[in-house]
Amino acid sequence: MHHKRMRGRHPNSHFSRAPTLGFAVLLCVANAQAAGTPIPHGTLELIAENQWIAPGRDFYLGLHFQLEKGWHIYWMNPGDSGEPPRVKWQLPAGLTAGAMEWPTPRRLGTPTIVDYGYEDEVTLLVPMHADASSASQKSAQLGAEVRVLVCREICVPGKAQLSLTLPVKSQAPAPAARTSNLFSAAHKLLPQPAPRNWKFSVDDSKDTLVLTANLGHQITQAVFIPFAESQIDNAAPQKLLPAATGFRLTLRKSDQLRKPIERLKGVLVLSAGRAYLVDAPLSNPVSAKNAYGIGIYAAQSLKEGHQR
Amino acid sequence: MKRSTLYPTLVALFLCIALPLISAGKTGEAAPEFTATASNGKTVRLSDFRGKFVVLEWHNNGCPYVGKHYNSGNMQKLQKEWTSRGVVWLTILSSAPGKQGYVTASEENSYLAKEQAAPTAALLDPTGLIGHLYDAKTSPQMVVINPQGVVIYDGAIDNKPTTDLEDVPGATNYVSLALEQAIAGKQVQTPTTRPYGCSVKYSDATH
Repeated sequence: MHHKRMRGRHPNSHFSRAPTLGFAVLLCVANAQAAGTPIPHGTLELIAENQWIAPGRDFYLGLHFQLEKGWHIYWMNPGDSGEPPRVKWQLPAGLTAGAMEWPTPRRLGTPTIVDYGYEDEVTLLVPMHADASSASQKSAQLGAEVRVLVCREICVPGKAQLSLTLPVKSQAPAPAARTSNLFSAAHKLLPQPAPRNWKFSVDDSKDTLVLTANLGHQITQAVFIPFAESQIDNAAPQKLLPAATGFRLTLRKSDQLRKPIERLKGVLVLSAGRAYLVDAPLSNPVSAKNAYGIGIYAAQSLKEGHQR
Repeated sequence: MKRSTLYPTLVALFLCIALPLISAGKTGEAAPEFTATASNGKTVRLSDFRGKFVVLEWHNNGCPYVGKHYNSGNMQKLQKEWTSRGVVWLTILSSAPGKQGYVTASEENSYLAKEQAAPTAALLDPTGLIGHLYDAKTSPQMVVINPQGVVIYDGAIDNKPTTDLEDVPGATNYVSLALEQAIAGKQVQTPTTRPYGCSVKYSDATH
């Protein structure tokens, strides 16, 4: 009903609408949108990091989304509304797909509803493993059925059947020139493991979770994006208190959080978009409320005092 | 300060302090009272239904998640089943004018007829007042209120947060579950879930 016709994205629609424009136009369009399959308000392409599959080796596939201006898709935790893209793989024997690796999302929202997702363009990374046994084939046909919800103010569900055929060769794989920029950009946008000397802890108070970070230097900008749905109130402002050695970030608990949590996991986005994985234990599992938390803050304010 | 300016100042101050403290209708808390105009022209007050179970259904006719439940006939079936068992079913339309899902009274009445929907009433909430009172985030978000006026369920309609019609038959319906359990005098096992669907199209909605 609300499926708008694709505009200028789908080579076939160009072809059918203006067959007289001829071969040149078709070629241009085909080049610009190499093998993108139309989805609502954008295109989706299954891309490979390497020119061929080498049995016994791991490699990356990517789901490259290109979206019309203003439209977005969702992260693994979509936030208050929407849903993440879902993939059903159709793979030959010997090939297995690992868990999707998600570039750091953007916080998309209003004062009342906040979602996590991607605008414009994103490549979701899929680590793949090729068994040594896959050597018996000359080529491998990879298929993926993707269901995706694309939203601006409104949402349109889409489904795309993607396929990609790659040669299978025993020699070390060579990177594919056409996609190397997309893969290197996607890897750069993945949240990084936090440096080992960074220490995180979380205090559970009545309505809030307070994330305390000790990174050895002051932080004045930080946003936490949770992996799990229904842990924090996505739309609530996150109150940052910079400290000499890090920060304290006060997150409001989600109304759907009915049981105490053991760990807070997610992505911490600092200034300039630097993003790190956080997996912080709750330092006061409710019964021992505050005992440990106060200790950390006291130590921190002492350090702050010294530096001033 | 003159008495004439002091009073409004105090009122304003009170509102500034008190408004953020008035909590939205959450599970276990009293359901906030509201008055609304229904698409049939009647004025509906939540307190009119004290003594009965009340279901609130946030609706947006253009949302594909809502479409899943209407195109499959699931929502109509739930409305018919529960209203026939004495439950009050209020469909709430919180889309702002100009936004997806905003309808006039007559447009809503045509929609209800076309879909053979059977809520007790469809309430027009173009200012989003009721939506914000209950902190409704998505359509179709569902709230169940018990005869004492306490919210006993707030969240998703079921456990399949998708737009696929084929996910309707196998889903666990949280609204029916809450009503069945509460009517049997039991504790509601799943009193709150993450509501899924499209964001409610309030006047500030940009996504």
